[in-house]
Amino acid sequence: MANKVFVTGMGIMSAIGNSVEETLYSLSNNRSGIEKIRYLETSHKDNFVVGEVKLSNKELIELAGIGTYNRTTLLGYIAVREALKMASITDMKEARTGFISSTTVAGMCHTELLYKGFFEGKNNENFMDHHLNGVSTNDIASHFGIRDYVTSISTACSSAANAMILGARLIKNNILDRVVVGGVDPLSKFTLNGFNTLMILDNEWSKPFDENRKGLNLGEGAAFLVLESEKWVKEKNKKVLAQLIGYGNANDAFHQTASSPEGHGALLAMQKAFKVAGITPDQIDYINAHGTGTPNNDASEGIAMQTIFKNHVPKFSSTKAFTGHTLAAAAAVEAVISILAIQNSMIFPCLNRKEQMKNLTITPVDTLEKNVSLDYVMSNSFGFGGNCSSLIFAKN
Amino acid sequence: MSDQNYITSFCSIKSSKVCINSHIDYSESSQVSSIDFLKSAYKHYQLAYPKFYKMDSLCKLALITSDLLLKTNKITENYNKEEIAIVIANSVSSLETDVEYQTTIDKNNYFPSPTVFVYTLPNILLGEIAIRNGIKGENTFFVFDKFDAGFMSSYINSLLNNSRAKCCITGWVDFYENKVESFLYTVEKQPGIMNIEHTSEQLTKLYTNQ
Repeated sequence: MANKVFVTGMGIMSAIGNSVEETLYSLSNNRSGIEKIRYLETSHKDNFVVGEVKLSNKELIELAGIGTYNRTTLLGYIAVREALKMASITDMKEARTGFISSTTVAGMCHTELLYKGFFEGKNNENFMDHHLNGVSTNDIASHFGIRDYVTSISTACSSAANAMILGARLIKNNILDRVVVGGVDPLSKFTLNGFNTLMILDNEWSKPFDENRKGLNLGEGAAFLVLESEKWVKEKNKKVLAQLIGYGNANDAFHQTASSPEGHGALLAMQKAFKVAGITPDQIDYINAHGTGTPNNDASEGIAMQTIFKNHVPKFSSTKAFTGHTLAAAAAVEAVISILAIQNSMIFPCLNRKEQMKNLTITPVDTLEKNVSLDYVMSNSFGFGGNCSSLIFAKN
Repeated sequence: MSDQNYITSFCSIKSSKVCINSHIDYSESSQVSSIDFLKSAYKHYQLAYPKFYKMDSLCKLALITSDLLLKTNKITENYNKEEIAIVIANSVSSLETDVEYQTTIDKNNYFPSPTVFVYTLPNILLGEIAIRNGIKGENTFFVFDKFDAGFMSSYINSLLNNSRAKCCITGWVDFYENKVESFLYTVEKQPGIMNIEHTSEQLTKLYTNQ
């Protein structure tokens, strides 16, 4: 029988905190991290609210203490450091260890500030070397000495879920004993302007699953999980936070930047996750939805949930009104939140929601719920290009 | 189940000629530009897919080739949409559109277009084929120096033999300057009317004859 995959550590940096502990505090006190733009250099400063990590690049450099790197590498490094510490991993050579990181922005946050100067001959900033997708992954892996398997994934907003899926498969197939998986995306003009062009940003606080939702708020962050094989966990008698029991990835085959009205891709991803997990939909206690707050996503995702769970949709919420949509980090940010929900028997609310969506019969949890025993939690992430992923975490 | 898989249909577009299962189905003078030829082929076959006009040349070429392939072999009717994989490779990536996009970010003439930008990745053509036909199986795009029959045959055979897919649309689509060619084919577990084994040797022979 294939190895089970356990989560033994997690680390997170987002608008609602610079650690797992701070994140839990914000979530359980209704503290959203979405505010006016403070750090991103953009002419849209007063036009949008975003979920920034509340540290400047200079402060991040100090916090990381590894020298001068771009925001992507710094955020990722700090989150990985926390995850490894929680998992009590110090020696990379004692087991086959991998690192799978996802990003969509990569070095663009730095490139966009410096490329004009580059054409004027000021090319001494060395930014070209840090532009490519895999550079932050390699930088972080080499700082921690992870060598057995290192790769980057970029599938838009489902990226980190796919990093977790790949990591889980590598463990199940006995290729790795443990793997650090997750994603990092800093805010950048590139993404802010891009999403603005697509007209799916809300200028005010986003309202996931509200009839009058206008769009999403962008966020930034990094989150990583340490996945370890059942065999290695037993051998080392390690503390387990949760088990990653199911996962599915499917394509919606509908549109480059929109989901099908029926949520075909979402449905397929969830179905595959149930198949891998070997559980039935009625066993799910809570769904951390993708719930971006765009008219299209929430309608499509809601319909897909109603289809797969028939008339018994479990409690669900989107936590994006806390963190903003952190793109390639989103699935990892929400995996950490899902595991915090399991550990603390809490369901974190869907903020800012006022009016029931007309085309859905289901309503998300919109106030904090405590003392709810959660055995199985599903976390969904859907990306542009119709790339849909679903994960299932179990308490034990 | 046998590990043997079969090439069950193929279609290629090269030098202003459309070949379906080895016979020339439509052609024009080789003087005509590649892009004009694609437009006239689109009209000739009455493909009726208005989104075609929005696509870049690489996707136009892939779309026409796949449309004709799926007309001759109706796999989308014979299999579930989740059972059909798409695996395509080329050598020039999306360079044609990358170069075009580059001209729109020139500092003297700065007008970047999102419509062009979305085509600055080669795997977009997989998405276009998937969206056109509602195909939801595995899909992957590779960039190689040249058509690699050994890699393609072993990769696709492994997909089918490990039950990752029951049928695959695969092949090669290049569009850059004078390097314009497509060669797409279907692989299935049954021999079909073509009865060509999906091996590196057979594939090389077939590709070279196009």
